[in-house]
Amino acid sequence: MPSKEKESIQLLQGTLDLIVLRTLSTMGPQHAYQIATRLQQISDSLLNLNQGTLYPALVRLEQYGWIKGTWGKTGNNREAKFYAITKAGEKALGEETERWRKMAGLVERLLLEES
Amino acid sequence: MKALRRLFLRISSPFSNEETEAELDREITAHLALLEDEFLSKGMSPEEARRAARRAYGGVEQAKQRHRDERSYPGLAQTLQDIRYTLRQLRRSPGFTLTAVLMLGLGIGATTAIFSIVEGVLLRPLPFPDSEHLVTLGDILEGSNYTSGGSSVTAPDIRNYMRETHSFTHLGGYGGKSFELSGNDDEPQPVHASRMNGEVFSALGVAPMLGRVFTQQEDDQRQPFVVLSYSLWRSRFHGDAKVLGSKILLDRKPYIIIGVMPRNFEFPLVPGHVNQSELWVPMSPEPWEFLAGAAASWNLRMVGRLKPGVTPEQAQSDAQRVAIETMRNYPAYMSSLRIHADVKGLQEDTIARARPLVRTLFFAVIVVLLIACANQAGLLLVRSIRRRREIAVRLALGARAAALLRQTVIESMILSLGGGVVGLALAGIALRVGLNLLPQTLPRIREIGLDWTVVSFALGLVLLTGFFCGLAPAFAAIQTSVNETLKEGGRTGSSGSGHTRLRSALVVGEIAVALILLTASGLLLRSFEKMRSVDMGFQSNHTLAASYSLPGKQYSTQPQIDTFNQRLLDGLRQLPGAESAGITGLLPASGFAGGISILPEGYVSSKGAGLHMAVSTQVEGDPFHALGIRLLRGRLFTEADREGSPLVAIVNHKLAEHYWPGEDPIGKRLRRGMPETSTPWMTVVGEVDDVKMASADSQTPEQFYQPATQVVASEGVFASTDELMANYGWIVLRTSVPPEQMENAMRAVLQKIDPQLVFTKMKTLDQVVSDSEAPRRFNTVLISSFAIAAVLLGVLGIYSVIAFTVATREQEMAIRMALGCERSRILQLVLASGAKLAAVGCTLGLLGAVAVSTLLRSFLFGVSPFDPAVLGISVAVMLLLALMASLLPARRASLTDPMLAVRGE
Repeated sequence: MPSKEKESIQLLQGTLDLIVLRTLSTMGPQHAYQIATRLQQISDSLLNLNQGTLYPALVRLEQYGWIKGTWGKTGNNREAKFYAITKAGEKALGEETERWRKMAGLVERLLLEES
Repeated sequence: MKALRRLFLRISSPFSNEETEAELDREITAHLALLEDEFLSKGMSPEEARRAARRAYGGVEQAKQRHRDERSYPGLAQTLQDIRYTLRQLRRSPGFTLTAVLMLGLGIGATTAIFSIVEGVLLRPLPFPDSEHLVTLGDILEGSNYTSGGSSVTAPDIRNYMRETHSFTHLGGYGGKSFELSGNDDEPQPVHASRMNGEVFSALGVAPMLGRVFTQQEDDQRQPFVVLSYSLWRSRFHGDAKVLGSKILLDRKPYIIIGVMPRNFEFPLVPGHVNQSELWVPMSPEPWEFLAGAAASWNLRMVGRLKPGVTPEQAQSDAQRVAIETMRNYPAYMSSLRIHADVKGLQEDTIARARPLVRTLFFAVIVVLLIACANQAGLLLVRSIRRRREIAVRLALGARAAALLRQTVIESMILSLGGGVVGLALAGIALRVGLNLLPQTLPRIREIGLDWTVVSFALGLVLLTGFFCGLAPAFAAIQTSVNETLKEGGRTGSSGSGHTRLRSALVVGEIAVALILLTASGLLLRSFEKMRSVDMGFQSNHTLAASYSLPGKQYSTQPQIDTFNQRLLDGLRQLPGAESAGITGLLPASGFAGGISILPEGYVSSKGAGLHMAVSTQVEGDPFHALGIRLLRGRLFTEADREGSPLVAIVNHKLAEHYWPGEDPIGKRLRRGMPETSTPWMTVVGEVDDVKMASADSQTPEQFYQPATQVVASEGVFASTDELMANYGWIVLRTSVPPEQMENAMRAVLQKIDPQLVFTKMKTLDQVVSDSEAPRRFNTVLISSFAIAAVLLGVLGIYSVIAFTVATREQEMAIRMALGCERSRILQLVLASGAKLAAVGCTLGLLGAVAVSTLLRSFLFGVSPFDPAVLGISVAVMLLLALMASLLPARRASLTDPMLAVRGE
């Protein structure tokens, strides 16, 4: 177990929020399980998260007013809470993406110069 | 914006906790179901699928906790949960909750009420801008032992100090005066007023609410201006702004109203609320005030504002320079007088005499609060002991000590918050009802009230009591040994001895401080009784007293005044039910301000003994009989003792004993003034009993009486031209019927002589005496009620500790009885444990009483602070009450069913 944790990527503060927003923005309303599955897919299971880990991010984003959850039915008629991105969320996603790009570029440049 | 939104949601989240939790549960369940479906579809068995889903999801509880932490502030949510839990617990035991809240409410309420007095009277700066720069300036007259009030000045002093000192931006003199106010169609009415230099207004720096105040220039020009107080403006002038510029009559002389002061303006800051100045007129001293006896009359005061950077000490040495110059220019007849300038903060001057009383009250009430807190801690401790198993289980399940601490403190906080609310309400009621009962010795009474400072003080008390009352049970809780408690199997037989010790210590402390208060109250009651039994030197029943003052305009010559007085006395004597009537310059038991210097013939004073001070009283008619003052030797005044006949005087016993000890004072001579003053001798014709001029517990002054008609002649060089005698004073009437019945008849007699004139005051002498006892009655009643509260709480403490011990030792008692122990032996056993606590508490209490005796000494009269009777009775009462408190649980213990021992729980 410990070795596994070392391999998996530690999530930067705010990164999870960005990923969730992005997922909801591109894929439309999703429930927590879908978001978690999507996370695993895109990270090639590098982000080895317990699916429960997602909940704090969902609360946070909902409290910011960036996403909104409503109860609905899944394809095989199970009930689930579907989260959809709001207008404010879309706007925030834009800003956050911009910020992330800048940051990533900066770190990238830094790493290049030093090597 | 988003941060703000989140902040709000996070704070409010705990309040919709149950919904959110349910929603979260639902969401997690749904999530797990979806995961299970997924694993099922991969071909797992339902059991495997469920386990796999759980594994993939991670810890459900951890996820929930993280969700909670994220959606709210972790501490906040926990605290709110604790509060909710506590409220539920408290609702389940309403008896306990009510007791605790009421007890703390009383404690906090009493403390808050007394603190509002401390704050209003002692702590709050005077209601003048930059009041710390305001000082009084006065003379200390060497050898006069003149202590009542602050230091005073003469009219020439005011002129000299104002002209020659350099330490003040503004400095002026003032003095009290009574007027007959008339002239705007209403009935004439007596008013308290102050004469003031224009500089006094400048020094105080308070702007008038309407119009303006007079200036020093107008004062010097003798302008007849008057500034009204807010209350007089409202009551007499109906709050009409158009009064400015209109004319009123003061002692039948016209004055023009130029201003109205704001509602909270009060000056001079005199004690009580009946002697407040209702209007202010310019000082504009008369020429005679600088001459003769008036120049040696210290009956005015001064107030000034220090220049920036000047200390009171510097101002005092500046003033001392002027005082030396003043003394150098003294006329021959007062050349031996020595004065020292005295500069004091106005605040200090105002509150100094009220301080001991207010401090003692505060001390007493804090003691009551401490006892209430100790009791509260004890009650909470019992609760936490009852809940020991619950606590042990929680500890075993991994509850952190901090969480337990928090919960206990929260419980205590909630209780004291309830107590605080009750207390504030009680304090509000007490202040509304009680302000008029405050003794007239307290200054600044109008400033007492529940303002923000007082309310925050109460809030502080709530937090402090809540915290400290909660600490004891909290530590008891975290010290709970999990193993022991759970192993005991619920049997609460022997353990918890640490808690018992803590509770016993609390009770011993309560008993000790309660005893201190009880002895204090006993000593004060004893003092009160002593005061009541003092022979006042006069008989107060069946005497009616009324004060009057003749306006100078109509009564400008001595014959006019004498005629008036004679007609009044004649009219009164003819009333049915009147026995005798007289006029006296000073009324017994109503207080007096200083005395005059006299010179008894043949008395050689020891060097440096200072002046010979005595109270001089002018009389007309037969006040001795009307007041019931006994003649000891010689004779009373007769019709023959009038203007022009040989000067005579009657002395009181104390004066005679002082100057002519063991001799017959009849025929001795005395005169007014100092050795260098040329005044004629008066011959003593009678000696009367000592009369208490102030309250019964005050010093008896040395006193002499003179016929009013002879006073001017006896003053010699002190007499000023046109000096009038007996134009004000007290009319005393001895009646054969209850004196209240004569009030209207008395007024009617006055009406017939001068329809415009009214008595400024009218009281029975019994009332006067009762008023003089009021300050002592006030502190005695208050301290005694605090003592009663303290003793009751202390007894309650003993009762609860014994009852609780008995309850926890039920099994032990049963075993003892099963083994053959007598019921009476059990009774003894329990009583002894109560007595032991009380005895230790009483011993400590006695030590405490000795420690605070110095604080109390100044309030005692005729009783030593170590009065054995009072101390003995207090201890006996305390022990007896403690025994009675233990008797109930002791009886219960002795009735224990021995079968309990076998049955177990």
